Amino acid sequence: MIHTKGTKLLIVSFLVIPVLHLLVFSYIPIISNIALSFTNYNGVNPPQWVGLKNYQRLFTDPQYLQLFKNCLWYMVVAIPQLIFAFILAVFVNGKFRGINFFKGVLIVPYLLNGVIISTIFIIFFNNSGTLNSILKALGLGSLAQQWLHNLRLVNPAIASISIWRYYGLNFLMFFGGLQAISSELYEAAAIDGCTKWQEIRYISIPSILNILFINVLLSISGSIQVFEIPYIMLNGANGTATPVIQIQQSAFAENRVGFASALSIVVFIIVVLAVGLQRLLDKKESIIDG
Amino acid sequence: MVNESRSYKVLRYVFLIGAVIFVIVPILPLIFMAFKTGSEYSSTSVLVPPQNWFNFYNFKYAIRVGNLGKALINTGIILAVSLSVQLLFTTMVSYVLHRFEFTGKRVVFTLFLLTMFIPVVTTQTIVFQIIYKLGLVNKMLSVILLYSGVNIVGIFIMLNQLNAIPKELDESALIDGASYFRIYASIILPNMKPACITLLIINGIGYYNDFYIPNLYLRKEVQTFTVALHKFFGNTATPFEIVAAAILLGIVPIMIVFIFLQKHIFYGLAGAVKS
Repeated sequence: MIHTKGTKLLIVSFLVIPVLHLLVFSYIPIISNIALSFTNYNGVNPPQWVGLKNYQRLFTDPQYLQLFKNCLWYMVVAIPQLIFAFILAVFVNGKFRGINFFKGVLIVPYLLNGVIISTIFIIFFNNSGTLNSILKALGLGSLAQQWLHNLRLVNPAIASISIWRYYGLNFLMFFGGLQAISSELYEAAAIDGCTKWQEIRYISIPSILNILFINVLLSISGSIQVFEIPYIMLNGANGTATPVIQIQQSAFAENRVGFASALSIVVFIIVVLAVGLQRLLDKKESIIDG
Repeated sequence: MVNESRSYKVLRYVFLIGAVIFVIVPILPLIFMAFKTGSEYSSTSVLVPPQNWFNFYNFKYAIRVGNLGKALINTGIILAVSLSVQLLFTTMVSYVLHRFEFTGKRVVFTLFLLTMFIPVVTTQTIVFQIIYKLGLVNKMLSVILLYSGVNIVGIFIMLNQLNAIPKELDESALIDGASYFRIYASIILPNMKPACITLLIINGIGYYNDFYIPNLYLRKEVQTFTVALHKFFGNTATPFEIVAAAILLGIVPIMIVFIFLQKHIFYGLAGAVKS
């Protein structure tokens, strides 16, 4: 392309606002956060350097370690979630009667917002709610619980809501991956007399192993950022607070901006590791493809 | 495709019907509840359907008291403005990155790329102070401003589409004397329509459902739909069957959009995920 003065003007004018936005709302905040995480900044007085004190507090105080333990539940439930989503994607990948109905219904939860989902699951886990009613109807009334008030069960209970909420996203990703497999592979398998099970075992699973791994990392980075469900359902009470709930609490209710910054940076580092690994894997894949 | 055995077909339906039940069972009591009267709600099991499916009292009450209509309009305004601005900027940035070579191109692209390492939840302590200093807290403009940024997913979707628009089109227009801006406006933009629809759907759903950002910046009179629902739901004085009706009303807009755009949504999301 020919480069004239006009070209330069166009490039600059098309980029300047989006790049400025990026700097002001992403880069400056994350860099300020790193700096403030070593201070006792309270949002009003000038920040004073406190070294690693905020981080020390985070990693020694059981109250704050609990935040990260809670995230582990969200990672654990990702396992059945991914298995469920994968089986669904395999079954939906084909031609059969009712396919559009199933596809439509299956992604409904993914379209609902956090407030709606929280209400649905308050009804679900309430004392006289859906789950206890079903248990009683099945003659398993002895298992009925105060799910949201039993301190040992509340975290796994609300973490498992993620399965219902997010499997649709995993399903879409797996489905996209399966659709991308070349039909020649399937045809060759058919000619060789493969059974459907062999096709899944030797074609479908190996082809989307990469997507599976990306989903695992997405789940890790999502688990560390959990906010809506425990915040809306319980306001973080009963030991359900997560790092993001605590960031909000420390920064906006307790004016401990320095501490909130340190917590933000820990979350940031975990996300960087998870997403970084995922990008690395993507790169490797594209080099192989190329 | 390999022939599907009979047992495979049966298993497929068993599993899919099981999955549909898994989706429906938690939602069903909410639907029942929205049509129950107050005394019916407290005296019947959540699994029992309402006596009168035409009891719209709860819905009327929710609309009147909950500030929901106004909040829905606010959400509509925020979505319309921020999505248009975002779409415009995303196409502009992608056009420049795809069609021109210039110093600093890699830097600009990397800056956009690296934002995927910076989750929104880790920057709000500082962003809040910036928005506060701009005097935008509790004004719609705060959320609009934050939503209008160009994100890397959008750029990827646009770059994919740009690959499919032949450069010869640009060049012949250039020879005919068109300016680059003219080329962008009359050749590139019209040909980017499918990518634009995909981006609108993905971010439209995301912003419509977002709670985190509006809950931080719009806590007073001006609320988005999710924040108003949350306020409504957090007020313990509100009877729960009314909350259920409000929630059901909240599902309606997204379901209408979904029914009309089902194909686009499915392939848009799956396609975006792939790219």
